[in-house]
Amino acid sequence: MKVQVDSERCQGHTLCAMKAPEVFELDDVDGHSSVIDENVPAGLEQKVMGAVRSCPERAISVEGTA
Amino acid sequence: MSTQDAIGDEERKKIKYHFDRHAPDYRERFEDITHEMHAKCPIAWTDTHGGHWVAAGNREVFELAARSAEYLSNDHDVNNERRGYQGISIPAPARGKGRRGGFLEMDPPEQRYYRQTLNPYLSPAATSRWIPWIDELVRACIDDRIESGRIDFVEDLVNIVPAVFTLGMMGIPIKDWTVYCEPAHAAIYTPLDSPDIERVGQLHMQMGMELFKQFADIKENPRPGLINALINADINGQKAPDMEILGVLGLLIGGGFDTTTALSSHAIEWLSQNPAERERLSRERDTLLDSATEEFLRFYTPAVGDGRTISADCEIAGVRFKEGDRLWLSWAMANRDPAVFEEPDQVKMDREGNRHASFGLGIHRCIGSNVARTVFKRMILQVLDRMPDYVCDPEGTVHYDTISVINGMRYLPATFTPGSRLGPGLEETLDKLQKACDEQRLAEPVTIRKKRAELSA
Repeated sequence: MKVQVDSERCQGHTLCAMKAPEVFELDDVDGHSSVIDENVPAGLEQKVMGAVRSCPERAISVEGTA
Repeated sequence: MSTQDAIGDEERKKIKYHFDRHAPDYRERFEDITHEMHAKCPIAWTDTHGGHWVAAGNREVFELAARSAEYLSNDHDVNNERRGYQGISIPAPARGKGRRGGFLEMDPPEQRYYRQTLNPYLSPAATSRWIPWIDELVRACIDDRIESGRIDFVEDLVNIVPAVFTLGMMGIPIKDWTVYCEPAHAAIYTPLDSPDIERVGQLHMQMGMELFKQFADIKENPRPGLINALINADINGQKAPDMEILGVLGLLIGGGFDTTTALSSHAIEWLSQNPAERERLSRERDTLLDSATEEFLRFYTPAVGDGRTISADCEIAGVRFKEGDRLWLSWAMANRDPAVFEEPDQVKMDREGNRHASFGLGIHRCIGSNVARTVFKRMILQVLDRMPDYVCDPEGTVHYDTISVINGMRYLPATFTPGSRLGPGLEETLDKLQKACDEQRLAEPVTIRKKRAELSA
């Protein structure tokens, strides 16, 4: 599974990093999110999908399921 | 307007709903009204308060907010220099007329410069540095009540912590919190026709004068904090005008105090009514506190919505909007949409996919959201630990009469099994916290100071 955060859409709600801190990191200065690595480590797919469904700005997209 | 336009206007506004969130019965009827609007008219025109659109559906609110840059304006053009837009209040408030509500009543690029100035003080990384400091403040508030077995959660805890912390971040002496606390809340909950309105207006004026004094003092003798940041801000190559800075300070106090109080008091009340859930939250806090916080945010939506002005003719979510139309984005109703939230009128502390709009959507996302969450969580944890069996008294509980602006609470008395103090009370603790603030320069931005606050036991 690959994951991306659309930086144009992200407004720093931070829910993704609550759901999957292993995958999303927040900028120290404005709290906006980016992915640590676009390749989702095995076993974290569910957490990433949780982040996708929690994002108020619908800024996270994934490709593939595993 | 030509006859043609008038007919066109009638046609555009044919989906009508009488919506008056200032009416006293809106609070009681909130769920019924929300259900009805979701079922029949997720966007509707109402003739109330000068006439405006109301967006209630989650998808509709999201689509509108997402297209802010092109079609929505937050501008409050107080001097009628641009297009005369009225900002985010519907109707425009009598108090503060002629004053802009900081960057929440600005559009980009101007708005962006102000946010960039303040972000490094309010980001998750910036906020978490203060946790030991906040914990000490919460401890002192609880210690002042712990031996008595009685507390008013609003007056004795959830009014105090957000107020003191906000002032600490701003660079204002925290012992002055009482000057700001009552007017900040009373300005929201006091109806304009109340006999108390004059006294509240006086308090508000005193607060404004004190705030100006602090601003002038920091200009003269710089000390770290949000005020200093604004004084030195680079707003597209220029300094921020004093009037705009004062508007931002009003926004920080208005946004920092009453909202967090509203969230915390409602969550504490709900947990008293649902003691098994309270025990579960305490037991499973490591996995449950984050999602429970988001759920309380969704369900109680402290800031119920925001006004906008349509800045260009457009069609969004099937509605034809015209430049100059006023629009109410109801975060509170968007948060109850069954199309997005399963059983939306139930609190589920472990709710998944909770894409609530309680901090707004789009470029105006509440800049204090990380502060609100942190303060809320630190207060709840100590309440769970130190008064786990508290019972709120419904007789003495006072909710705001209307939920037109903030879904707030004035009093939340409770009893609990008394416990022992852990340290000094609030007054003494405020001195200690001020000292920590000054000596460790805690109110510096995270770009300058990365270390957490250190508080001696």
